[in-house]
Amino acid sequence: MSFHTSHRALVAFAFFGFLALTVLIAILPAVSVQNTPGIPGATARSELAEQGRAIYLREGCGYCHTQFVRDLPLDRPYGRATVAEDYANEDPPLPGTERTGPDLSNVAARQPSDIWHLLHLYNPRSVVPQSVMPGFPWFFEEKAAAAAGDVTVPVPPRFLSGQGQVIVARPEARALVAYLLSLRQPALQP
Amino acid sequence: MVQRRTQDPTLRPSTAADPSAVHVAFEYLACATFWLLVGTTAGLIDALKLNWPDFLVVPWLSFGRIRPIHTNTVFWGWSSMALVGLALYVVARTSRAPLWSPTLSRISLVLWNAAVIAGLLTLGAGVTRGPQEYREWVWPVALTFGAGLVLNGVNAYMTVATRSIQEIYVSNWYILGAFCFLTILFTTGYLPFYQHGLGNVVIQGYYMHTAVGMWFGMLSLGIAYYAIPRILGRPIYSYALGVLGFWTNILFYTLIGAHHFIFSPVPWWLQTTAILFSVGMMVPVWAGGCNLLLTFRGASGVLRRSYAAPFLVAGIVAYVLVSTQGTIEAFRTSNIYWHFTNFTVGHSHFAMYGFVAFVIWGAAYGLVPRLTGAEPNPILVGIHFWLALVGYGIYVVSISIAGVLQGFSWVAGEAFIKSVEAAEPMWLWRTAGGVLMVASHLVFIVNLWAMRPRSSLMAPSASPAAEAST
Repeated sequence: MSFHTSHRALVAFAFFGFLALTVLIAILPAVSVQNTPGIPGATARSELAEQGRAIYLREGCGYCHTQFVRDLPLDRPYGRATVAEDYANEDPPLPGTERTGPDLSNVAARQPSDIWHLLHLYNPRSVVPQSVMPGFPWFFEEKAAAAAGDVTVPVPPRFLSGQGQVIVARPEARALVAYLLSLRQPALQP
Repeated sequence: MVQRRTQDPTLRPSTAADPSAVHVAFEYLACATFWLLVGTTAGLIDALKLNWPDFLVVPWLSFGRIRPIHTNTVFWGWSSMALVGLALYVVARTSRAPLWSPTLSRISLVLWNAAVIAGLLTLGAGVTRGPQEYREWVWPVALTFGAGLVLNGVNAYMTVATRSIQEIYVSNWYILGAFCFLTILFTTGYLPFYQHGLGNVVIQGYYMHTAVGMWFGMLSLGIAYYAIPRILGRPIYSYALGVLGFWTNILFYTLIGAHHFIFSPVPWWLQTTAILFSVGMMVPVWAGGCNLLLTFRGASGVLRRSYAAPFLVAGIVAYVLVSTQGTIEAFRTSNIYWHFTNFTVGHSHFAMYGFVAFVIWGAAYGLVPRLTGAEPNPILVGIHFWLALVGYGIYVVSISIAGVLQGFSWVAGEAFIKSVEAAEPMWLWRTAGGVLMVASHLVFIVNLWAMRPRSSLMAPSASPAAEAST
């Protein structure tokens, strides 16, 4: 029996060889780390923030924003280094592979203002002129006047299409901001 | 057989082509090319959005939704369909047997098209598994694609099993292997039992890396091992090196996915293993690449006159260069400067376009006319080649410079927005390259149409009398 003449031997060996390597290099290591417990004392996300996370996933924010701080000097501005425990209750975790925008692991500590985040989501250029992030104006509503309980956003006039409207955050914007403001790295026990 | 139009000296009409395999291969290429246009248009829209972020502010066209549409459409629509169409033909041809079941592959093609359409619609609507690269499709879409994958795998296997010669040509090793690998890879990527928390990250590294090398890479190499000797009319430089490349690819490539998560909480030994075997990859890469390129030795005349050969040479050269680049990127030191930057985007386009797409085009121009007896206009093939080559050259160089500038800005400790400003001029160049790439695809559509099988042209090569006369 030779691989050159036996298709059975060839395919079986390639299939099971690859499967064995997959088990060794991916499945077993994944099994061994998947049940890492979370950080003791870390606060759970609110239901609103959880909805916000679903929107974060839906809009593909994770393609440009990492949640993965390395133990390197250039990553210091984003917080402490990410540990396995940080991903414990994340399904899926969002480490990311590209940082077209800054890391968001600890963004709530850097930028705790909900109004800033709402403005930034409506049109990022309204707070960071050089930003290339997409705006999400469909998470907001243009109204003639704010009603009771509305969260209004003080968008500068040049980012508005018409005169005399107020911009009101829809539930999506409020949920997304709740999620962003939940991104605060819990302290590690010494 | 009367040689029909012989604008390419390497084209000798095939004498034993199985007409149904030819038609199946062409149908795959035609669908693939449609998805190429859709997928690269999506990519171009995304590129434009980095230049003009307030352009096309529509939910389903926002950057975060278009990006997975671009990657999944060019992966599963364009590259997979084109490679499998060519691979099915190669399997049948090198087994000296008809394709086991053309019907099975036609069913697969319907399933694959359904999956790509459903993937396009779901991702556009924001129905996604999150930014887990190349496995964003929700499971019903992935399962549809997976069913087509298994059917095609069975078809390829049965065609080899019913071969009329004893030896299994090395192309079939790579092709049958690829079907096994993607089946395991898809299953591993989608089963949830070990993907909680950090487990998901371990699987993601394995999945996104291995998909590129063990599916697209293996199929491209398998096709190149057939197409290059075929258009040159001479055997491969070293058959043994091809076999060595196959086994070392399996051993090394499978183990290196974790190099996408260097300095992460993924176990340190796993990262180190990935870096070590990334260096090991130089064995199959240089063995395979040089083997294919050495087959051209002394055939410079053909290279000058054939329009298919330049695509294949460019594709294999890109294979060697991009894989070597990948090894260098895996090191911890280079990770500090390059990881998270646009350098990675350049690397992936270098691989999926410079290597995979060019091998597809070379094989299509080198094999299809010999099957259908219809050649494209050589001038138009030349235009395709140069638009694609210059286009992706500009793309890869500019986006790689953008990556280096980003990395240097971060290491220098500048405010984050400085890295955006530094990359911006390069993003404009990247878009310019992308426009040329998309333009080249329009030319390819014209050329593919010119090569289509026509019933009147197919008849002679299928008749025994015509075979006897060659």
